[in-house]
Amino acid sequence: MINIQNVTKSYGAFDAVRDVSFTIEQGEILGFLGPNGAGKTTTMKMITCYMPPTRGIITVDGLDVVNDSMNVRKKIGYLPESTPLYEEMGVRDYLNFIADVRKISGQARTSAMDRVIEVCGLKQVINKDINELSKGYRQRVGLAQAIIHDPEILVLDEPTTGLDPNQIIEIRNLIRQLGESKTVIFSTHIMQEVQATSDRVLIIDQGVIAAHGTADELKASMSGQAHIDLVLRNADKSVFIESIKEISSVKLEDVILQKSGDLEISMNVEAGVDIREQLFDLAVAKQWKVLEASPSAFTLEDVFRKLTNEGSNS
Amino acid sequence: MNEIIAIYRKEMKTYFNSPIAFIVISSFLVITNWLFFDYGDYPFFAINIADIRGIFDYGAIVLLFIAPAVSMRLISEEKHKDTLELLVTMPITDMQIIVGKYLSTLVIFAIILIGTLVAPISISFVGDLDMGIVISSYIGFFLLGATYLAIGLVASSFTRNQIIAYIIGIVTIAVFFLMNGMASGSGLIATLFENLSVRFHYQNFFRGVLDTRDLLYFFSMIFVSLYISSTALASRKYR
Repeated sequence: MINIQNVTKSYGAFDAVRDVSFTIEQGEILGFLGPNGAGKTTTMKMITCYMPPTRGIITVDGLDVVNDSMNVRKKIGYLPESTPLYEEMGVRDYLNFIADVRKISGQARTSAMDRVIEVCGLKQVINKDINELSKGYRQRVGLAQAIIHDPEILVLDEPTTGLDPNQIIEIRNLIRQLGESKTVIFSTHIMQEVQATSDRVLIIDQGVIAAHGTADELKASMSGQAHIDLVLRNADKSVFIESIKEISSVKLEDVILQKSGDLEISMNVEAGVDIREQLFDLAVAKQWKVLEASPSAFTLEDVFRKLTNEGSNS
Repeated sequence: MNEIIAIYRKEMKTYFNSPIAFIVISSFLVITNWLFFDYGDYPFFAINIADIRGIFDYGAIVLLFIAPAVSMRLISEEKHKDTLELLVTMPITDMQIIVGKYLSTLVIFAIILIGTLVAPISISFVGDLDMGIVISSYIGFFLLGATYLAIGLVASSFTRNQIIAYIIGIVTIAVFFLMNGMASGSGLIATLFENLSVRFHYQNFFRGVLDTRDLLYFFSMIFVSLYISSTALASRKYR
């Protein structure tokens, strides 16, 4: 449905996106994951015809975004990151304006309006002014605008940013619901969101694709390691870091001294190695009190942190 | 065409849902009529001649400050609120956006023009007005306002800050208005400046003459301004 081939976008000497290639199949929900400034928004702006790629080709349903821009735009519904809305307009006026520009009129207009009011749950606010709306409702109006012409493709740039937990779940459900019949690409920097909503994940960092696949595939790529979270009382940070080196299979990830004086540690261990006894002996020898020790499976978050941290260190 | 009308209608709603249209229209009419009827060494009531040229002389100056106030928000506001990003990713060309917005300001100005009719209509009851000159003057005044608004639109398309758009608009219009006084004599530069000047072409309309050169001048100014604005919108593609 969407085909991105060797696309680079440069701002002067800076490459915001560097030689990126991927495809999105019809009916798929693609979660676009990456830290801020990774190139998510830039990629989306190129797909939605806001600006052309510096190099490379993007086609949407076989149509080139540069040469066939007007036809591509008709196929896409877009919700930019900041949810831009005309504050001074009423919700109904605003949606009517979008329908005007998209040339939806007559009976089609009436049914399109009814549909988006229903799907986005706008019944209570349809006669209000946009500047009276809460953040959650603004986001829904933004989504309504994006689907009013029943597009085949939805591009949503960080659709849940700034919402409270209940609203986030509502919007996620909405995305999933829309994804049943449409191709959806949405960006986020929240891992659970991708896990909860998307068929496939694409992790982008510093303008290049760091990983690509289903959430399970990405997690599997991290196998061969296990993760342990540990909380110690009466432990000194530097002493701990020094003494843990005795256990060779441990790779420290993070050591945080909490306000209470407890030491919070997260570390990776080679798979198949049981270090519980060694840890216990060490704690006894140093007179540390183990408050918590929990092994855990890898989450997508770990994959993300690993990939994006490695990128910035190299 | 439908797209242009959609943009036009949205802009009109914005102008009339807020006090902008009312403030702009009423301040122009109050100030211009006051200047015309009652100000200076030769106010209308004192000189006792059935001539409404003063409306257009004072009007051209007052409009210098009013027109950029109408057009300053057109693109700047959309840039500031990021709504432009949504607008330019819909199936509508940059030029359609510009023309739709420009049309709405023309209609505001047309309402202002209708408001100024009070003077010629009332004067025509008590004196002899040369209707030919009145009509040609109104055509000239409309073209003058249309040019001011187009220049204001250019200023608005280059910045996300409305105040900057307003000030750049005023300065640019003032430069074009006063250009004929910038070089004296009859050299090439002086002739060029004179022919580029808004005031030089504007004055001809008060003689009751519609000269194609003057019409061409105003139409080119408007066309070039709209073209520059549209290019400024498209500049996002080349950054």
